[in-house]
Amino acid sequence: VDIVPAEESAPTIAELNLDNSFAENVCAPLLRDAQNSDGGWGFHPGANSRVEPTCWALKALMSLLAPGTLDGDAIRRGCNFLIAAQLPDGSWPSTPQEKTGCWVTSLACWVLEGKSEGQKKYSEAIATGLSWVCGDWPRDSGWWQRTLRRLSSGKQHAKHNDSARGWGWTPGTSSWVEPTAFALLALETQQGQKLPSAQKRRRLGEALLYDRMCPGGGWNCGNPEVYGVAGEPLVIPTAWALLALRKYPERRENIESIAWMEKNFSAIQAPGSHALAGVCLAAYGRKGIALTPSASDLHAKNESLRSIPVAAWMTLAAGHPQNWLASGKHS
Amino acid sequence: LSTNTRNRTLIPSFQRPASRVMIRRAASYEQELGTLIYESLVEFALPVKDKVVLLKPNLVGLDPLGIMNTHPAVIAATRESFLRLGASQVLIGDGPAMDRDTEAILESVRLREFVGPLARIFVDLNIDEIERVPLATKASRLKELYMPKTILGADLVVSMPKLKTHHWAGVTLSLKNMFGVVPGSCYGWPKNVLHWAGIDNAILDINAAVRPDFAIVDGIIGMEGNGPIQGTPRASGVLVLGDDPVAVDATSCRVMGLIPERVKYLAYAGTMLGHVKSDKIQQVGETVPAVRLRFAVVREFSGLSDAA
Repeated sequence: VDIVPAEESAPTIAELNLDNSFAENVCAPLLRDAQNSDGGWGFHPGANSRVEPTCWALKALMSLLAPGTLDGDAIRRGCNFLIAAQLPDGSWPSTPQEKTGCWVTSLACWVLEGKSEGQKKYSEAIATGLSWVCGDWPRDSGWWQRTLRRLSSGKQHAKHNDSARGWGWTPGTSSWVEPTAFALLALETQQGQKLPSAQKRRRLGEALLYDRMCPGGGWNCGNPEVYGVAGEPLVIPTAWALLALRKYPERRENIESIAWMEKNFSAIQAPGSHALAGVCLAAYGRKGIALTPSASDLHAKNESLRSIPVAAWMTLAAGHPQNWLASGKHS
Repeated sequence: LSTNTRNRTLIPSFQRPASRVMIRRAASYEQELGTLIYESLVEFALPVKDKVVLLKPNLVGLDPLGIMNTHPAVIAATRESFLRLGASQVLIGDGPAMDRDTEAILESVRLREFVGPLARIFVDLNIDEIERVPLATKASRLKELYMPKTILGADLVVSMPKLKTHHWAGVTLSLKNMFGVVPGSCYGWPKNVLHWAGIDNAILDINAAVRPDFAIVDGIIGMEGNGPIQGTPRASGVLVLGDDPVAVDATSCRVMGLIPERVKYLAYAGTMLGHVKSDKIQQVGETVPAVRLRFAVVREFSGLSDAA
């Protein structure tokens, strides 16, 4: 594992003006109206509350929060939904009926961190959640699976470095790019940095992301090469991986990947990818990106805004990543 | 005999009557497919009047060249055909496995150009409302799965895969296509829990739970070799249809020059979900020999070839 930290100076945050008025006038009202009576959000307005869309909606509303706004109550109710959904082992399930936690645990911890200051119930929920995250090792790179692979005479179809270990979508499975990126963002929070076991997990997780980068830059779900054929990068995994690794802006892999994102930005045809790509470019201080098509153009074309995560990402894209990406506090 | 969540009874294959599979020639996506598919569906006399039909195409990833996903021309023609047959509603739904941006995939395959506005037609099964479904067959280690309510509530589920070989499963046809109904919002992108449960056995469990009612395989242009994403396009010029998805997949294998009894999950499926053996499949339309090709497969599946 060879991780070389970048210089101390954080990357410049550029203001990209990603359709601010559209986010404020269309996306944010949609999020506010879609909150369920239990405090959570579904994937669509009117759908049953789930942990993932609740996290994205909260993150978006927190990024907009100004003193004295009504969103404070919505955020409090949303956070309480998350607290109620937490399982006894500290994890969060993807859906309230489920009794096993999964990748959304990282999202919940990351989001609640924004409310944790001076709030003991949130701090405790985050602490148990992050402990669960640190103890959730992927199965594919465990001792037994590695031994089985060594003993197997068959050729490995996908080239992976087994010493790098990230996180899976669900417990007992393989490491993948997005859940690893979310876990790294959660462990980057103030509470995450205090955990003794977090440092090793962060180092291994970062190594996993670099190992799974596609040749030439960018990430897909986590298959950079299968049967000798290079995988094609995708926008959303690339955005989250770059955001999770943004403290290494000078690394070759980051430079290649951000170049891939810049090159492909104007060809993005869907608002979710468009928003996250914009966030990513802003976090790396990229300016002067041609914003065509605009978020509102894409919305008009795709009729997309019934998706709560997409509306939330578009809201986040309209603000400054520094306001919500790190362990920002929202009282 | 047991009944699944959609009230479809599982009947052992030895008690099932012979299945009928139709092969139709279709040279290109530019030709008039609506009449061809409508006339083919009429032959099966499906009970669709006033029913809700869900078409489940295979949308695996960004595909501007139209080589890895079910072609929108086939999806649109099928939708029109079911409406013409009297269906009250024909939805299209999928939960892409590798990329959570379903909108981007829909844009790349140009589905709107063929079907029109999708807001009331397309369901992203990855983020649909869900329901816990116990798996009665227990072929895999999975005891239950969450399934989209749209799938469970449809009167008729039509699996619409692309004719492809697959680097982990051998072939991906109408049964493997049902991986796409498992919601990514619960299991991730990809739905890795299914791989760890054993791909072959998970295919059986999912199909036993959902029981697709009909299958239409888009083999106008198929994919050989390192499918389902990175393989090589192969013009095959056929559509394969039938109301026994196992038999449709078996016939599609034979069209690709592969032996279905050697595809592990198909061999199992032939014992409880449908027919694999050719003497239990009544072939209508074109014959298999008339359209047979020889698809390349990755080395691990070279034993599937009927030339091996």
